[in-house]
Amino acid sequence: MSKYTISCCLFLLAFFAQAQENKPLEQNDSLVYKKNYGLRVGVDLSKPIIAARDVDYKGFEIVADYRLRPNVYIAAELGHVEKTSEEDRYQFFTKGSYLTVGINRNAFKNWLEMDNELYYGFRYGFSRFSQTLNQYTIFQKGVAIDGTSSAYFDPATEQPNRKFEDQNAHWVSLVLGMKVETFKNLYLGLAINISKLLRIDTPENFENLYVPGFNKVYATNSSVSFNYTLSYRIPLYKK
Amino acid sequence: MKNYFLALGFFCFALSACENDDFCAENTSPKLLIRFYDKEDPETLKEVPLIVWAEGKDTIYPLAVLDSIALPLDTSNNQTTYKFSTTNIVDELQFTYVREDVFISRSCGYIAIFKNVALESQSNNWIESAEISNATIENETAAHVKIYH
Repeated sequence: MSKYTISCCLFLLAFFAQAQENKPLEQNDSLVYKKNYGLRVGVDLSKPIIAARDVDYKGFEIVADYRLRPNVYIAAELGHVEKTSEEDRYQFFTKGSYLTVGINRNAFKNWLEMDNELYYGFRYGFSRFSQTLNQYTIFQKGVAIDGTSSAYFDPATEQPNRKFEDQNAHWVSLVLGMKVETFKNLYLGLAINISKLLRIDTPENFENLYVPGFNKVYATNSSVSFNYTLSYRIPLYKK
Repeated sequence: MKNYFLALGFFCFALSACENDDFCAENTSPKLLIRFYDKEDPETLKEVPLIVWAEGKDTIYPLAVLDSIALPLDTSNNQTTYKFSTTNIVDELQFTYVREDVFISRSCGYIAIFKNVALESQSNNWIESAEISNATIENETAAHVKIYH
């Protein structure tokens, strides 16, 4: 039956422009496609893949959303990250969990009974983590001798292994993303988060330069992060 | 129309997330600033033809006529010895200090500032006397050591 409808509609679509010219008032479609409602849960595929390739990274993220209205979803992400960040002259280890909660709004007009999304949304994020400063080398400007500039003395390298526990960060993000229903109730998703810190703890004589869930903290207290999700909708009812 | 505003808002937010170049633009570990004064007239700077090197190192200031120089301090030790040569007469100054490491920024990392800077020993072949005028080296704006010759 649905195949028949699709073919029929596709056929009619070819004459859409013409049909509109001739009968502008007869556009009422008697078919109403009901939307699936239910809890959609999934995982971020990118984190285990990065972890498999990078020994300095471990992480997972569970995503979930629930349809409130045909185009409005309440969404959340829960995750855990352990990461060693290597900068030019210092190295630190971040370990912690995060939770983000917010709303997605679908801006994509689906054809027929399709249920894909092109959405925007916002999140509030919170993370609790520990930061360990493993190692650093003093930054001393080089001295130019005979046209080549190099450090006059070898700079000191310290290994303080200083651990800062119970660090907190709060942030807001804008989300742009898409979800495509590949099989019945199975979705592939891609999203970009642009985030801005609201509040963050500052460890003594150091800074929290990486926050789980927020990602690398830039000088403007902002960040960009991505996720690639595979999720399944547990269908509850149709409306 | 509403969507245009949303797009504009998003664009502004994205723009506010733009990042400065990831280069250290701030000051790095400050150097020891030495100024040379006239021994007859201790208020007046007096230039001197100088060759300067640290013990066991290359020349840091090859022959130049100067009234002030900036020398890096060894961060791996709590003392640095510099040799100052003028017209083949060499004098030696040994500085001691306590290093303190300060986190500056993501791109700069840690720099060293020096406290309790003192003259541990000095020879007086061409240098009449030397004194510490500022025992804390946090920046390079004012002289830390005055040498009279």
